[in-house]
Amino acid sequence: MKPKHLIALLILAVVLAVFTLLIPSLNKVHRYASRSDQPVSQPRQSVLESHPPSEQEQLSWHDLRDGESAEQPASLQFGETRTYALERTASDETDLSLLGSPSTSSAADGNKTAELHTIYGDSYGGAMGGAANRPQHIGTPQSQPRLQQAHQADRGLERRTLAPDLASVTADEIWVIAKPEAPQAEGPQYQTPGSGAMLAKVEEKEIPLPLKHTDVKGQISGYIATVEVTQQFENPYSEKIEAVYVFPLPQNAAVNEFIMVIGERKIRGIIRERQEAEQIYAEARRQGYVASLLTQERPNIFTQKVANIEPGKAIDVNIKYFNTLAYADGWYEFVFPMVVGPRFNPPGSTDGVGAVGRGKMGISGQKTEVQYLRPDERSGHDIALAVDIDAGVEIEEVSCATHATQKTSDAPQKAHVQISPLDTIPNKDFVLRYKVAGKTVKSALVTHTDERGGFFTLMLYPPDDLKTLQRSPMEMVFVLDCSGSMNGQPIARAKDAVKRALRKLGPDDTFQVIRFSQSASQFGSQPVPATPENVRKAIAYVDDLKGSGGTMMIEGIKAALEFPHDERRFRLVSFLTDGYIGNEVEILEAIHDRLGDSRIFSFGVGSSVNRYLLDRMAKLGKGAVAYIGPNDSNSEIVDLFYDRISHPALTNVTIDWGSLKVEDVYPSRIPDLFVGRPVTVTGRFAGRQNTTVRVQGKVGSYDKELAIPVRLADEASTHPGIACVWARRKIEELAARKTYDDSPSLPGEIQRVALEYSLMSEYTAFIAVDSTHQTAGDHGVTIAVPVPVPDGVRYETTVQN
Amino acid sequence: MKRSALTALVVACLIVTLLAPRTGKSSRPAEPGVRFAPVHIYLDSGNAPLAAYQFELVCSVPVRASQEGNPPKADHYESAVKIVGVEGGEHPAFNNAPYYDPAALANDRIIIAAFHTGADLPKGRTRIATIHLQIPSDTEPEYELKLAVAADADGREFPAELTLETGEDQ
Repeated sequence: MKPKHLIALLILAVVLAVFTLLIPSLNKVHRYASRSDQPVSQPRQSVLESHPPSEQEQLSWHDLRDGESAEQPASLQFGETRTYALERTASDETDLSLLGSPSTSSAADGNKTAELHTIYGDSYGGAMGGAANRPQHIGTPQSQPRLQQAHQADRGLERRTLAPDLASVTADEIWVIAKPEAPQAEGPQYQTPGSGAMLAKVEEKEIPLPLKHTDVKGQISGYIATVEVTQQFENPYSEKIEAVYVFPLPQNAAVNEFIMVIGERKIRGIIRERQEAEQIYAEARRQGYVASLLTQERPNIFTQKVANIEPGKAIDVNIKYFNTLAYADGWYEFVFPMVVGPRFNPPGSTDGVGAVGRGKMGISGQKTEVQYLRPDERSGHDIALAVDIDAGVEIEEVSCATHATQKTSDAPQKAHVQISPLDTIPNKDFVLRYKVAGKTVKSALVTHTDERGGFFTLMLYPPDDLKTLQRSPMEMVFVLDCSGSMNGQPIARAKDAVKRALRKLGPDDTFQVIRFSQSASQFGSQPVPATPENVRKAIAYVDDLKGSGGTMMIEGIKAALEFPHDERRFRLVSFLTDGYIGNEVEILEAIHDRLGDSRIFSFGVGSSVNRYLLDRMAKLGKGAVAYIGPNDSNSEIVDLFYDRISHPALTNVTIDWGSLKVEDVYPSRIPDLFVGRPVTVTGRFAGRQNTTVRVQGKVGSYDKELAIPVRLADEASTHPGIACVWARRKIEELAARKTYDDSPSLPGEIQRVALEYSLMSEYTAFIAVDSTHQTAGDHGVTIAVPVPVPDGVRYETTVQN
Repeated sequence: MKRSALTALVVACLIVTLLAPRTGKSSRPAEPGVRFAPVHIYLDSGNAPLAAYQFELVCSVPVRASQEGNPPKADHYESAVKIVGVEGGEHPAFNNAPYYDPAALANDRIIIAAFHTGADLPKGRTRIATIHLQIPSDTEPEYELKLAVAADADGREFPAELTLETGEDQ
């Protein structure tokens, strides 16, 4: 054979080899791309169009969130959702009885029927061209063509049956109007195999994904919640997949049960050392067995993997946890986080939590990565959540500012709350608060005894008479997060909170305002007296702050804690942040090293705040934390904060346990007790006799003592979850020590406790394998479940693409 | 380029072509000794309605020393079988995944217990649980099964027989 023939043969062979390598992936793309027949919502006609208002009728839009009434819906911000009752009345007899939240409205009118409309995609206001182009009177015949145009422009108008919680609202129509984040140009990532993008027409925004539904059932007994979370995975693709879902749970959740459900079969997962569980999972996945693995990335971030889900098959994963509820200012608070907020990771870090666009797996370079849906996408993953409260004493009030809810009660001490079918997009924390009858809240011990011994938790309420005493002068330091994730509504609310707090400072106080994003800067070179002139200047300074750039929180910590302390004043550092960072350990370590005599009182601002970080900052900082959600009242929260710090705390707290032999108590050092802020103490005990526990402390220079009677035989004061709560708290304390103590025994001790009590930790994991059936073929494609960015957070400034 | 070099290149490309379709597939099993298998646990309660049970299972493989010419010792096992899931039984009263004692699991055994308070209870021989295992060798594990208790709805213990079966389909 001549050389030129060989060269030709070589070229042919190379071409053949390249095609052979590419063909399988091309086939894969084709298979995905061919399935574009997913159901999409079609624009439908509103009753406003089918039965337009007459000349004599007038339309009133009643905002069900704040009770405000208007002739037209408000112009929405990007990412904002509002629910309206639309009322037609004769122009001179408008019925305003609808005002107030649906759940509290009692003006039921059985003769009226209402229809529910949900607009996905562009908002009503946005579709009408924004505030400038909106018609002045949308109910008039003149505006009707524009209204219809608006509806046609909306990409997904749904008409549903009326949600039960809105049944009492007398209205012709209920409208849920949502404006998405600003749309972006579509990019090549939509063609990424395995992302699921090819399964849908992009313009429809429906992204079928393997996570279909999350079901949450909570039971609250006293101040302990038992929560079951069921994640329903289903393979909508034409080949086998592995689903990977990064999701949040409460930062103090003691996760101790994990069950994989395949049809009617239920397989309980086994707690193992993390590395061992990961190896078992990898082997099962490789061999084609259905398997699931639950790992903990942060105390409030978990990864669920489910391997070898065959096409069309469904697998549920059921997780159970216990946690103690927070109590503040008269309210118990049950929180269920629904989405991990996009975190900022300092340059050079790899152990953080990356935030990347859908289909951009691996580009953040972080160990854990969350993929986010673009603003104009939705996945179809929805959530149902129901909570049963048995407070043990009369419940005065139940409130949920984050979600539309339905509430029922069949006894004064009980309540059932569930989120409305209107509000099933998992893009913000669910926060439920309930208040029990005023005089019934008192410190009490809850116990559990089994073959391992006795366990208890004690919620220690501060004495009432603290409120009668006044504080000493303060040195108040506000540290405001001005990073990109705070852009928009969060920073506006944070600024309002700072300004309100500044106005409340007394003449003997001093203050400082520090902003941080990529770097930190401050209002004055040192804290300045809170004179009216300085406060006015500081308010102007705060008004000018904007959110952009990274979240170098460490710069804010240094700026706030590293300047000399004025000995005559009580220094209080207040962070206002969403906590969207991936280097929590570095921050906590910095606080531990620099705290000195300062106290940290933080505000978490946003709809899905990093509560783990903020709670830990407050605990390390011997202070407290409060959260300002999108629908919370700034003024109320800031005023409560001021009420708390305006009185001295009970300090140097010690506990005499009476005849109980108590050990392993957490927190190991009882923190100061501030007005409105109890402390939960947990430990192990031996002994069977009723006794009296005495809590001693100092208020200023005065001694103070509280007596708490303990009746161990009282059935109402027992709870089976106490052992897990104790073990989780021990793990939390050991993990906190690990941030500043490099003792090599700490990881092993955490692992030992977690294994013994079957608990999730950073060193343990749950593994479940169905060994009865080996699926055919290889393990298929890995599909990361992308999630929406939290409500109020801008995709453009927080997600890496 | 020399003819021999060109020939080698052509051959290399053809080999790549022939092998390429297989590179995307898993070549299982990479560790031929590691496998997954279930063990099905049966309890025969005779005529008594079964309301509660507790048993202990130890599953292990003989020490590898036996492969080097030494006979396996009955009391010397390498703790290498790993329990990777616990599944409920066939009767509706016991089809929820039973509980295990995590402290006992740390000692390479598992203690499993379940109870049912309803009226519909199984009698006779019924599968009460399936234990999913990862077995690190082709050797069939040795199993030790101990019934701690079987009881009726009134809490009365009764004698019962506990057996196990292996194999994927039950």
